[in-house]
Amino acid sequence: MFFLFPPKPASRLVSLLLILLLAGCSTSPKWPAADDSTASLQTRTVLNDVPFYPQELYQCGPAALAMMLNSQGLNTNPDILRDLVYIPGREGSLQVEMVAGARSHNMLVYTLDGELESLLREVEAGNPVLVMQNLFYNWWPQWHFAVVMGFDPEKQTIILHTGTRERHETSVEVFANTWARSDNWAAVILPPDQIPATATALQYLSAANDLETTGRTNAAMTAYRTAERRWQDQPAAILGQGNIAYTRQHVQQARKHFDRLVTKFPNEAVGWNNLAHTLGELGCNDEAAIAQQCAAALAPDRFESQVESQSDRVHPDHCSVPACPALPQSRD
Amino acid sequence: MSGIRKHLRYVSFFMALMLSLGSVWSSTATAAMVGTGEMITGQEVQLDRQQLMDMLEQQEVQDKLADMGVSEDQVRDRIQNLTPQELAEFEQQLAEAPAGQGVVGVIVLFLLVFIVTDMLCATNIFPFVNCIR
Repeated sequence: MFFLFPPKPASRLVSLLLILLLAGCSTSPKWPAADDSTASLQTRTVLNDVPFYPQELYQCGPAALAMMLNSQGLNTNPDILRDLVYIPGREGSLQVEMVAGARSHNMLVYTLDGELESLLREVEAGNPVLVMQNLFYNWWPQWHFAVVMGFDPEKQTIILHTGTRERHETSVEVFANTWARSDNWAAVILPPDQIPATATALQYLSAANDLETTGRTNAAMTAYRTAERRWQDQPAAILGQGNIAYTRQHVQQARKHFDRLVTKFPNEAVGWNNLAHTLGELGCNDEAAIAQQCAAALAPDRFESQVESQSDRVHPDHCSVPACPALPQSRD
Repeated sequence: MSGIRKHLRYVSFFMALMLSLGSVWSSTATAAMVGTGEMITGQEVQLDRQQLMDMLEQQEVQDKLADMGVSEDQVRDRIQNLTPQELAEFEQQLAEAPAGQGVVGVIVLFLLVFIVTDMLCATNIFPFVNCIR
């Protein structure tokens, strides 16, 4: 706070008025109301095992990323990460590069939905949260990355490793306002065999797909497998495993995945289509034809009934194809 | 300026060619492996659609629709016809609507959609809208 003149009664009145006016403008964020579902958010939580690295001038990006990664058992430091996420000319780090930087360490980056409650839930589950804040104003932004690693419902504070301050406690109002100016951007960074506390199936699969498309196929494979175990109703989790195996030329493995996919989700045309291609490549031409017809019968606008990838290989004796719900069962 | 004009014909010919090629390609059926991302996107669209459909189940919404003389089935058909992008716009508007106004917001959005289609004479629900045709 800056006082331009000594506080006299009149100026006190003015500042009181100003405060009232300003308070009227801002909507004060609410701590999640205490009920059964939020009981665990009503006790003080601090993740003591999140390491702290004080930032060097303007380098909150590398420092925050190092804290996030090392809290998951990695062994890196801000100096190494600087080359990955710091742009000297701009004296800062780009949000998108923070995400890409974490991904390049084979970590799954899950962007949260921007609700304060989700952020608290992740911390409560033991996951530190990377947040972006705007510490100044919309018209004069001062972007900042920090790591949320605790909260105190009694004092209504959020606890962060931020800048050069370790375990800095800030009131939830101040935090929420600076966070809102960055559109409530927050992410958890986890190894691909773990699922964030607030994750939804499709968002998680989408994050896994980001790993796949950036060439982190081992991590993506683990994430898809993790998703399949957690969400029984998601065909994309199995499709992902099959597609990665196929790209790696592990055709036999790919076929097993697609086989499982069409058995569990017989009405998913995509599964039949990819199974058809895989069977064709294995030399199981008759079975490939059936699978392709099945895909075409389920989604006629999308798939042709003619198989493209026929192989000249001799028909192996381990060929088989699950029953298609859209075709008459007369093939036996 | 005249320099650009001179070439405009070729540019537009090129654009038209690209456009027609693009539409030819997209209309042919897939004959390759389908990527995981494509399936995830498709499932997200399905989920968006389902969420809108679920809202129609609410009594409050049904009463409102009845007031306006729109049947639930008509709205359902309309939702089926929305593109993923239109759906996403709905979702976003819904998310931005102040808490508690979600239901009313949906109604207003539906009204907008119906009015637009009425103007194009695709449907004929609001007779007070004059057709463009």
